[in-house]
Amino acid sequence: MPKAEKIVLEETRNIAGWTIVFSVIMQIIFIFCGFWNYKVFLGNVLSSSLMIFNFYLMGISVQKAVASGDEKEARKIMKLSHSLRTFLIFVVVVIGVVLPFFSTAATIIPLFFTRIAVTANSIVKNKKKAKEVSSQNESQ
Amino acid sequence: MLDIAIAIILGCCALGAGTAMIAGIGPGIGEGNAVAKACEAIGRQPECKGDVTSTMLMGCAIAETTGLYALVIAILLLFVAPSTFIDILIQYVG
Repeated sequence: MPKAEKIVLEETRNIAGWTIVFSVIMQIIFIFCGFWNYKVFLGNVLSSSLMIFNFYLMGISVQKAVASGDEKEARKIMKLSHSLRTFLIFVVVVIGVVLPFFSTAATIIPLFFTRIAVTANSIVKNKKKAKEVSSQNESQ
Repeated sequence: MLDIAIAIILGCCALGAGTAMIAGIGPGIGEGNAVAKACEAIGRQPECKGDVTSTMLMGCAIAETTGLYALVIAILLLFVAPSTFIDILIQYVG
């Protein structure tokens, strides 16, 4: 496996941070609803770590595809990577759904955290940029 | 008769899971296209590599969720739905 570039590590760290925040929120919601037990925690840990690892692998394959420089080669790399990652997710989620010590709901819900994290991340970045622009305008 | 009903339920769940996974083809093609165009863009302006990679990563993550929805539906249809439907059937039949 090639070494991850700085940008990939940075984005993975961002996504991991958001995923942890959403996981904590999910746990709190489960506690308030009275559904919480150790299965919810284990399912959440399994699924969240899988999604962070999936994002990291995607970053590595994007980096590899970009480094290849050739469009056809890049397409091939991404298609192969997507198929393998989907298979990995399938296997892990099936383990989470079938084995009795993982909660099904807590295994499935964190699969969507990446998308929410990307949206949240872009909102925060846009707000930061808007603040920077307004502070620059005020100083001028 | 009950055996046939259960077989139909299992068959329909498997068919539904297979049909749902058709949606898994799209993200792979989409990601491939995005990365191919990014290669082209980086070839034109190599100094933008960081920005292009960052934006593309986010785009790929969003594109991939469509496939994940399909995968989740397929897994639920294969491993959760059959037992639920069979329980309902047995309740009604007695």
